[in-house]
Amino acid sequence: MIIEIGHFSVVTALVLSALGIASSVLALKTRNVDWVRVGRMALTSIFILLFLGMASLVYSFLVRDFSVHYVAATSNSQLPLFYTIAAVWGGHEGSLLLWVFILSAFSTVAVWLHWRTQPAIMPYLIGVECLVIMGFLLLILFLSSPFDRLIPAPPDGKDLNPLLQDPAMVMHPPMLYMGYVGFSIPFSFAMAALLSGRLGEEWIKVTQRWTVFAWLCLTTGILLGGYWAYYELGWGGYWGWDPVENASFMPWLVGTAFLHSVMVQEKRKMFQVWNLFLIIVTFSLSLIGTFLVRSGVLTSVHTFATDPERGVYILLFVATIIGIAFGSLLMRANKLKSQIEMDSMVSRESVFLFNNLFFLVAAATVFLGTLYPLMIETWKGAKVTVGPPYYNAVFMPVALGLLFLMGVGPYIPWRKASPASLKKHFRVPLIVGLASTLLLLAFGVHGVFALFGAFVVGFAGAAIVIDFGKISRLYARRESVNPLKGFLSAFRSNQRRYAGLVTHVGVLVLVVGIIASTVYQTEKVVSLRVGDEFILDEYRVKLERIHEVRGKNWNAQEGVFEVYEGDALLTRLRPQKRVYDASQTPTTESAIYAKNMGHIFLTMPDVSPEGVAVARGVINPLILWVWGGGGIMGLGVLLNIFRPRK
Amino acid sequence: MKSRKVGMIVSILVVGGALAYLALGNFGDNLVYFFTPSEVTAFAPDYYQKKVRVGGMVVEGTVKAHPDRLGLTFELTDGEATIPVTFDGIPPDLFKEGQGAVVEGYWTDAHQFKSNLIMAKHSEDYMPIELKRAGVELPRKDFMKSLVQ
Repeated sequence: MIIEIGHFSVVTALVLSALGIASSVLALKTRNVDWVRVGRMALTSIFILLFLGMASLVYSFLVRDFSVHYVAATSNSQLPLFYTIAAVWGGHEGSLLLWVFILSAFSTVAVWLHWRTQPAIMPYLIGVECLVIMGFLLLILFLSSPFDRLIPAPPDGKDLNPLLQDPAMVMHPPMLYMGYVGFSIPFSFAMAALLSGRLGEEWIKVTQRWTVFAWLCLTTGILLGGYWAYYELGWGGYWGWDPVENASFMPWLVGTAFLHSVMVQEKRKMFQVWNLFLIIVTFSLSLIGTFLVRSGVLTSVHTFATDPERGVYILLFVATIIGIAFGSLLMRANKLKSQIEMDSMVSRESVFLFNNLFFLVAAATVFLGTLYPLMIETWKGAKVTVGPPYYNAVFMPVALGLLFLMGVGPYIPWRKASPASLKKHFRVPLIVGLASTLLLLAFGVHGVFALFGAFVVGFAGAAIVIDFGKISRLYARRESVNPLKGFLSAFRSNQRRYAGLVTHVGVLVLVVGIIASTVYQTEKVVSLRVGDEFILDEYRVKLERIHEVRGKNWNAQEGVFEVYEGDALLTRLRPQKRVYDASQTPTTESAIYAKNMGHIFLTMPDVSPEGVAVARGVINPLILWVWGGGGIMGLGVLLNIFRPRK
Repeated sequence: MKSRKVGMIVSILVVGGALAYLALGNFGDNLVYFFTPSEVTAFAPDYYQKKVRVGGMVVEGTVKAHPDRLGLTFELTDGEATIPVTFDGIPPDLFKEGQGAVVEGYWTDAHQFKSNLIMAKHSEDYMPIELKRAGVELPRKDFMKSLVQ
């Protein structure tokens, strides 16, 4: 009964989304504000109805109503409560509903938030959002319904894929979707600008916080996914250029280009067409990302069974949205010729230009690598994959270039930089950069990537530190307070800029973590019996015993490994080989010990009946900098969003 | 004025060209093609030693652990042809006799497949989509074909 209420709510929401579109069109035709009010009511009601739809689905999971097909397919009576809630978005039906629910929530908030200040935008905003909502609701109701009954009900459910029974996986999809969907708000405003012809900077200023918020969610989602892959998939890495990872990385790359490029338009009224282009591409890639993951066209750990109907539908839907968006852009492009030209090659503008060039090449690379196999298969029938070496070869130089730009960008003036100002700002950072490279050389490091990395990290880091030092002293003197207070009041005086620099610091920390944990990773795979030991880098690892452990819905063989540093016992690590009850699926659970910001990472992928265990030990130096850097980046974005309004 | 504009365009073209070369120049060498066991047994010699992926079913009763080091040998079939595989490393959790698996490696002169990477999937939801001949419905290829026809 409850699930039918949810189903009915979602059907009603579909009807209302059509009403929302119609009322927007009528509002624009008749110029009658009452139609906009109707649209707002429709959108708000859609949000409430989709909330009811989600709630009914969550309820069915909680009471374990296996007569609901989706509940039976993705959960089980023994599944712990926490993961039972995560199972709501553990399959495509539920995750698509979550997607559109978040979309309705964001657009409703946007409409009420900007209602007073942006009345002229409202019909467009409501119309575009309702169009996207309608597209997803059609998909959910006709091709991918989580509300279908399964009669007769099975005695128990099939269970959630054990790999997804993990805290990071509970938050990963919602964060990712909030990122994808968050970009729909600047996208809608951009569409409003295009369709209404109000092509000034207004749409960018209004949606700036939405953009960074979406970016924050997407970044968090991607990092959570990497963190999950790191300890749950048990191979000791966090990024494998899996097509599904790539699908979320593409909108991130273009979105990052966008949130930098809008600054040029705000300050200099340049890049107008370009910014519209970027946000359209960003949101299109969000939709394509959803399409790639949810249609099952990609072979990946994430993909579910293939369903051609769903794939064709999503493809047509995405093509429609992209077609409308680019069509409008083309119609307006001639009106958007920027009157302002670049003054100099050495200017903030040109740094942003090259920033965009690098990000777009990066995105195009991922796009090519992800979609080329699909194209080849379609036209030639051959099946092919693009390996990680390809991406690594392209991304290392691109990342170094971007990091260098990140170091110089904030300190190059708009319009034109004089040689004197370049010297003033970059002499010390250059020295620090070279010094870090020499330091690594002295330590016997010869990897080109690591050496260049050290240079750009030292360079960019020094530039920021010097900047923070200078402003602290300046404000401390001006307000005669101590430098820390000086720093805080300087920070508040131009919080948008300094919050951005905090995010840049986070990027640097992240990059150091990535370089250290890839270049200096040590890995060892051994087979051993109880009592045997092996040497892992500077540690001695001894298998003390193997015993059985019982969890809520799994059995495991747990290896107890003693890790010695010299003769001192450092820790006991307990990796497991689990078998989940319902699906009889085995999983390998890693055990991790953190030391000096790095990890000792241990898995026990196999235990033979004769008692021979296979152990895999990995030393990941500075891996905590990867997650710590992500945290600092997030802090920077929060400081940007919650900056004092001027 | 003019020369600055030209300089700008030239530098964008140079940087963009270098990046495009980077992105496209490496591409061909990093492609790994996918085959079925019957295609592998029909390989012309110039395909030997080339990195490829092969998908099939792990034949029941053929998985044998290597006696003195990590690794195993097994046979992979698509119902028509069967190839022997030697694998170095740790097989993934879902690798099992009678289940589907995709192996990456190369085909040797001795008609052995040497692999250092196995990708395994599980149940009908997680079967390698390429395994059409092993009885999985709706292969990816046909789906993509349906889009262009």
